[in-house]
Amino acid sequence: MTAFTINGRAVEVSAAPDTPLLWVIRDELKLTGTKFGCGAAQCGACTLHIDGEPVRSCVFPLSAVEGRSVTTIEGLSEDGSHPVQRAWVALDVPQCGYCQSGQIMSASALLARNPSPTDAQIDQAMSGNLCRCGTYLRIRAAIHRASEA
Amino acid sequence: MKPQRFSMTRRAFLAGAVATGVALVVPLRLSAPWAQQREAARISQAYIRIDASGRVTFVLPTSEMGQGTHTGQAQILAEELGADWSSITVEMPTQPAPAYRIPSGQMRSVGSFGIRLWHDPLRRAAAQAREMLTQAAATRLGVEPATLQAEDGFIVHVASGRRLPGRRLPFGELVEDAAALPIPEEPTLRPDGERTLTGRTVPRLDTPLKVTGKAVFGVDVEREGMLYGAARLAPVFSADVEGFDESSVSGMPGVVAVVRVPRGAVVVADSWWQAKQAADALDITFTQTSADTLSTDAINTLLREGLDRTDVPVTTLRGEAEATLSTNGQVVEAEYSVPLLTHMCMEPINCTAESTEERTELWIGTQGQDVIRMTLESAMQVRAEQLFINTTYLGGGFGRKTHGEIALQAALASRAVGGRPVKVLWAREDDVRQGQYRQTMMCRFRAVLDDAGNITGMRIRLAGPQMGRAYGFDPEQMAQATGNLANFDPFSLGGLSDMRYVIPNFVVEHAVVDLPIPLCPWRAIAHTFNGFFFESFMDECAAAAGRDPLAFRRSHCAGQTRMLAVLDRVAEMSRWNEPAPEGVSRGLAVVESYGSYVAQVVEARADDRDFHVERVHVAIDCGRAINPGQVEAQMEGSVVDALGAALSQKVTIRDGRAEQSNFHDYALLRIGEAPSVSVGIVEIGSPLGGVGEPGIPPLAPALANAMFAATRQRVRHLPLADHVQG
Repeated sequence: MTAFTINGRAVEVSAAPDTPLLWVIRDELKLTGTKFGCGAAQCGACTLHIDGEPVRSCVFPLSAVEGRSVTTIEGLSEDGSHPVQRAWVALDVPQCGYCQSGQIMSASALLARNPSPTDAQIDQAMSGNLCRCGTYLRIRAAIHRASEA
Repeated sequence: MKPQRFSMTRRAFLAGAVATGVALVVPLRLSAPWAQQREAARISQAYIRIDASGRVTFVLPTSEMGQGTHTGQAQILAEELGADWSSITVEMPTQPAPAYRIPSGQMRSVGSFGIRLWHDPLRRAAAQAREMLTQAAATRLGVEPATLQAEDGFIVHVASGRRLPGRRLPFGELVEDAAALPIPEEPTLRPDGERTLTGRTVPRLDTPLKVTGKAVFGVDVEREGMLYGAARLAPVFSADVEGFDESSVSGMPGVVAVVRVPRGAVVVADSWWQAKQAADALDITFTQTSADTLSTDAINTLLREGLDRTDVPVTTLRGEAEATLSTNGQVVEAEYSVPLLTHMCMEPINCTAESTEERTELWIGTQGQDVIRMTLESAMQVRAEQLFINTTYLGGGFGRKTHGEIALQAALASRAVGGRPVKVLWAREDDVRQGQYRQTMMCRFRAVLDDAGNITGMRIRLAGPQMGRAYGFDPEQMAQATGNLANFDPFSLGGLSDMRYVIPNFVVEHAVVDLPIPLCPWRAIAHTFNGFFFESFMDECAAAAGRDPLAFRRSHCAGQTRMLAVLDRVAEMSRWNEPAPEGVSRGLAVVESYGSYVAQVVEARADDRDFHVERVHVAIDCGRAINPGQVEAQMEGSVVDALGAALSQKVTIRDGRAEQSNFHDYALLRIGEAPSVSVGIVEIGSPLGGVGEPGIPPLAPALANAMFAATRQRVRHLPLADHVQG
């Protein structure tokens, strides 16, 4: 059994220790806001926070999360009121929306350590999150907007 | 076939209302010419429903895959009806809803049709509902209907321009009376002055769900007792299973079954990760095929032979064919090519199924409900009335999700485990390697220019596969229907045969080269490559004539109001007629597709070592922009999407299989590479056009033209990365 905290709730799960955290969260804990995109830490759709740091959960083994604190998009705020979520709504960032949980988790982690990032800092922090709909321009603008909130 | 006419009786209304208590239900009727087309006429059972709580639901068969179509449709409806915006709910036709059954409808979300197809029917049905509610209120209040108006979900009594206090009734209180009235045949639409909800930027309905992780995509579907399936499929497209040894994985954790499916196997397990581990470990062999040695080089040889064939019929002819072969004038010739592309929808292909002999129910983010129906009918003898498809949000579509193979795999997997729900999900590698690619094409041009530098004749030979056949488009019938001579495949020749420039003598031919590779529409289909070919070649002709690319195009646009309007707008936005800033090179292109005209100017900074796109100006004429903010969003996204494709994307074939597998060797543009995009919407009274696809085609040629302006190097073969180190 692996014990950890997710969105403030203590859980114990029985999946094999080498199972990527993504699949435990989606298929066992039924938190489906975190998405599968590549399985190879190439696209960022599965980004969540472990102890506040952005992590690609599709390649993060369950065993490594023992005793740690995980936050997913469902736990970022109770009601979508996190400044990043509000900025995303204000600028109507999502199109298909599939990558946006990961984008928002990367963006919120960035702002937590750097409240006023430059364009270059945004580009660097967000470079691991792909979007085929091409919403990058609005993502960049929304991060600036959230940083002013 | 005659347009189908609805005559809904009182009985029919009550039947439609059973599920939710009393409700007013008004069906949508497609308007001519769509209603006269056999396929479109079958998309008929869409409707508006207003229930006793005042909630307004509209059920339309357009899937939401990011294009914003549900929001635009809701704007059209709410405005005409006078509904409270917050009372609107969008539903996909959900099985087994009584009012929408797959057997009666061809259901597909393709061709950027969501708004332009449903705009008029939605307005008409909303006006009908409004008039019925108004009549019901008039009777209740004992006043003339003309003294009433519908606004914010109420019918309001107005006298001398004043809303009378207490004299208003909410829609919900009126639906029972209204439902008893006949549907007016000729409802009066609101005048333009009252159209205040369309034509302005309204927030998307789905954004709150998509920023909180609550939007349900196909991959998120949960069913009681659900199992998970992972696929192991033949790497060579035309190969099938020779055999597999189930015992090689039956002892692995969680494994429940190994299911034979066309071209492979699906391993079913308690979790997807377990299924995936077992699928990778499965001892399976595939048949040898004649395509085992296929390679990109071999494909290119076939395409090049197509360019040289002497037996190819003329498809499109304007003026005199011989004039296109003239040597009397300046002759410009060039050959172009594009590679295979895959879709890389961020949500990998998946479907959840519960299937027994009697009944098959699916949960899937799909653009092609009718394709799924046909697939299951032919492969599993599932009759239409036994099939129920729940359409979820799509994590990207781009044409890829018009196919039925994943639904078949999921249904077969569910059958194999006694009808339990099974979610089959492909890994990204399956998604990239299993074909359904954008065509690879070659194109040869020949143009003759007169002394003034105008094109007098142009001959175009396209070589490549003919994809339309797989979608039921017979090239000879299509030629007849479109005024072409022969062999017209719109999936191959869109953007060439119907190009808008005035060129007096013009010939298009298509040398059909069949390839053993499954092909699939890719956002903007033929316009993706024909836009690149044609608009690059126009630039070559302009350069050969020593003329400015904008002036050259304009001089071939006599009478083409929409071409001129977007060209002039993008020229103004990019200050085309002023010198470019130091170090900046510009490229221009304009393409009509899906009923809209889009011109783009790419501004790139180039030096010896680097070529970097800084900014793209986009001018679009899509008729009246229902939601300008979403038109802008589609243009911004299209630029990023098309730039990624033009810069680096290609699928190459070796030993009969795709060489790429994931985002590391098939790259999407990343945020730091995205240029800034400015969008100008041109409104000159044109008919409604699409917006999901038309932003794609001009980007690649505008990029290549900017590259030429910077380096005098003409990029004729995509992707650009094959030619420059950047």
